Amino acid sequence: MNSVLETPLAAPSTRPSDPTPPRRRRRRATGGHPRITPYLFLAPTILLFLAFKLYPYLSAFWTSLTSNIGGAITFVGADNYLRLLRDPLFYTALGNTGIILIVQVPLMLGLAVVLAVAFNSLLLKARAFFRMAYFVPIVMGLVAYGILFGALFNSGPGFVNQVLGSVGIGPIPWLIDPFWAKISIVIAMTWHYTGQSAIIYLAQLQSIPGELYEAAQVDGASAWQRFWNVTIPGLRPALLLTVILSTIGTLQLFDEPYVLTNGGPDNATLTVGMYLYQNGFRYFDFGYASAIGYALTLIIAVISLIQFRLFREKSPKEKKR
Amino acid sequence: MRFTQRKSALRIAATAAAAVTAVALAGCSSGAGTGEAAQGGEVSGKITVWTWNAPGDGLKAAIPAFQKLYPDVEIDVQDVGNPAIWEKITTGMAAGGQGLPDVLNIGIDYMGNYVEKFPGQLADLRDFGADALADEFPSGAWKSGSGADGAVYGIPYEVNATGFFYRSDVFEQAGVDIDAIETWDDLLDAGVTIKEKTGVPLFAVDKAATEADSAGLWQLLTALQNSFYFDEKGDITMSGEAGVNSLEIIKRADDLGIVADVQGSWDALLAQLRGENDIAVMPAGGWMAGVMENEAPDMAGNWGVRLPPAVESGGITAAVNGGTYLSIPTSSKNQQTAWEFVNFALGTLEGQKLVYDGGGMFPGFAPMLESEGFAAPSDYFDGQSPNAIFIAELAQDTPVVNYTSDYARALKAYTDAQTRVLLSDADPQKAMDEAADQVAQQTGRTIAD
Repeated sequence: MNSVLETPLAAPSTRPSDPTPPRRRRRRATGGHPRITPYLFLAPTILLFLAFKLYPYLSAFWTSLTSNIGGAITFVGADNYLRLLRDPLFYTALGNTGIILIVQVPLMLGLAVVLAVAFNSLLLKARAFFRMAYFVPIVMGLVAYGILFGALFNSGPGFVNQVLGSVGIGPIPWLIDPFWAKISIVIAMTWHYTGQSAIIYLAQLQSIPGELYEAAQVDGASAWQRFWNVTIPGLRPALLLTVILSTIGTLQLFDEPYVLTNGGPDNATLTVGMYLYQNGFRYFDFGYASAIGYALTLIIAVISLIQFRLFREKSPKEKKR
Repeated sequence: MRFTQRKSALRIAATAAAAVTAVALAGCSSGAGTGEAAQGGEVSGKITVWTWNAPGDGLKAAIPAFQKLYPDVEIDVQDVGNPAIWEKITTGMAAGGQGLPDVLNIGIDYMGNYVEKFPGQLADLRDFGADALADEFPSGAWKSGSGADGAVYGIPYEVNATGFFYRSDVFEQAGVDIDAIETWDDLLDAGVTIKEKTGVPLFAVDKAATEADSAGLWQLLTALQNSFYFDEKGDITMSGEAGVNSLEIIKRADDLGIVADVQGSWDALLAQLRGENDIAVMPAGGWMAGVMENEAPDMAGNWGVRLPPAVESGGITAAVNGGTYLSIPTSSKNQQTAWEFVNFALGTLEGQKLVYDGGGMFPGFAPMLESEGFAAPSDYFDGQSPNAIFIAELAQDTPVVNYTSDYARALKAYTDAQTRVLLSDADPQKAMDEAADQVAQQTGRTIAD
C-alpha cells in the first residue's frame, strides 16, 4: 500500500540509528498505519460473516419466537419452544437420531481405524488406489447417491437382495420396514463417510514416530499390543476430531433419510433435520422449524462439550497435572 | 392426484436443489422475476408462467392464438417441475413476492395454505371481472379457489373426478361381472375370486409410503361417505366414523391377501398401467385416462372405466380428485396482461380447446364439457367414454372439500396411521385417533365430535 511505502520510517537506512521507543511513538503520530487498516483488510471477511452468518443466526432466532397466525407474523415468545417440549414427534425424531448415532458413529470410526492402518501398511499393494477408492463416496452428490442406494436396497429386485437371495437369505424389506429402514440408513452413512475419517486417521498415523514401534518390538510387544498401546494413543487427537465431527454430522442428519426413506415408514427414520425440513417447507411453519433448529444447536453444543471433556480427562498428561 | 405425486426420491432431491437456489436468488436479487411492465393496464410486454410438464404443454398450445389477439405480448411458460414448484412458490411468497412470475399454476391442496399463510400475495381476480366466470365452473371447484370473503384467487384449470379404472381382461378371465359390483363389499368379494382364479391382486397400496403419500384410496373411500380430514368449519374429522370405516375397508382387503404392496413411484405406476405388474382395479384422478393412452398404448381394450362403487349400498358414487388453478401474484408488474392470458386460456371455448388438446387436463369450463365431441367414445377404452363418466360424476352433488392450511400435516398423519395398520397390525380406530390427536396438537384445531 502506498501509505506504507511513503512513510520515511519504513526506509531501512534510518532504522538502526533510531531507538525503539520513539519510533513506535512517531509511527503512531504520523498515522503511517491508521488503526483502521487491519479492519479494512478484514472487511470482506467481517462483512461476509455479518451478512451470511450473524444475520441468519439472529434472524432465525427471531423467527423462532414468532408464529404465522392468520397470515400475520406474530411475536409469540417461547410458545414454539414450549410446543416442542410437548411434541411426541420431536421426541421420536430425537430418539431415531440417537439410535442412529449410537450405532453408526462407533461402527464407522472403528472401521475407519482398521482401514487407515491397512492403508498405512507396507504390505498393501496399490495403496494409492485403495485410499482413493474409499474416499470417492464423500464427493458423490446427493442425487447420484439416492439413485445408487435406491437401486441397491430396493426391497423387491434390488441388487443387495439378489445377492442375498443367491445364498438363500431374504428378501429383506430394506427401505419399507421400520427396523430395516434404520439399518439401511446406517449402512448408507457408513459407506458415505468412512473414507473421510480413514483419511484423517491416516494423516495422524504418519505422524507417529517409527521409533515407538521399534522400541515396542524390542520390548517384545505383539502386533496387537503395538496397535493398542502405540497406534491408538497416537491417534487420540484425530479420534477426538472425528468423534466430534461425526457426532455433529449425525445429529444434523438429513440427506440419507431424505433421499432414501423420506423419514418413513411411519417416522421410523424421521430425524431432527427431517422434522425441521417438514415443518418449514411442507407445513410453512417457519417459526416452529427455527425453534427446532435452535433446540438442535443447543443439543449439539452440550454433547460436543461432554465429548471434549471426556477425551481430555482420559489424556494421561492432564491427569498428572 | 397428479399434482401431489412425489414421484421419486430424485425429483425430491431436485426440489431441494431448486429450493436452495430459490432461497439464494430471493436473497440476493432485488428485482422481481417478472417481465417488462406494461403501462397502466395495457396488454403488452412479457409475462412468465410457472407450471409443470403436461399442464405446461396445454398452456403453450394457447399462446399462438393469444398472440393473434395481442401481438405485443410475449409469454414464457416455464416447466418448474412438480413438486418443486410448491417450494419455489413458498420461498417467493416468504420473500414478499420477490422472484415470482406473473401466472402461477397452483394445486387445490396448496391453495388454502398460500391464501391463509401469505395473505395479500395472490391478486383478487374480481378486480379483473373474474366473477363473471363463476357460473361456468362447477361450484365446488370454484369455491375451493376462493377466499371465505368471496375473493377469487384462482381460476380452475384442471378439475378432476375420480376414475375407477379396471382391467376388463382380468375380470373376464376370473368370470366376474364388473357392472354387477355396487359396493366396496362386493368389490372385495370379487377381489378374492380374482385372486383365486388369476393370481392378480385387487389393487395396490404403498404400505410403507416412503415415496408418495399413499392416501389416495382412503381419501376416495372417505369422500364416498361424504367426509374428509376436515369439515367446513376446519375441525378435524379424519378420526370420525367415515374415516375409520375407510381404513377398516383397506385393512380388510389387506387381511384377505388381495392388496399388492407397490412403492408409489412413477415407474411402479407405469408398470401397473402396462400390465407388467398386474392389478385388477386402479382408482385414480380422471387424468389417468390420458396417461394410460399415452404410456400404455399396447393395453388398448384391456382397461375399462366406470363410476366408483359406493361404500353403503345406494350411497355416493362420485368423488372429486383434486384440481389445479391459475393465479396471479400481486407482485406481478403486468397483472392485466397476465389476466388476459388466463382468461383466454380458461375462460373462452377457443382457449379451452387449444389447452385441452395440448395438455389433456380435464377442464371444468361448462361450454367445453358440453362442446361437440368432448364426450365421444374412446377406442382405447373399448367404446366407453371416460369424459362422459367424469362429467356425470361432477354433476353429482359432491361436497366442497375443505383442504384448510393444514392439509399437508393431516395427509402425513393419516399416511403414518395407515402404515401402522398395514405393517404393524395396529387397530384402525386407535391409529386414526392418534393421527387426529397429532394434527390437533400440531395445529391447535379441535377434533369434531
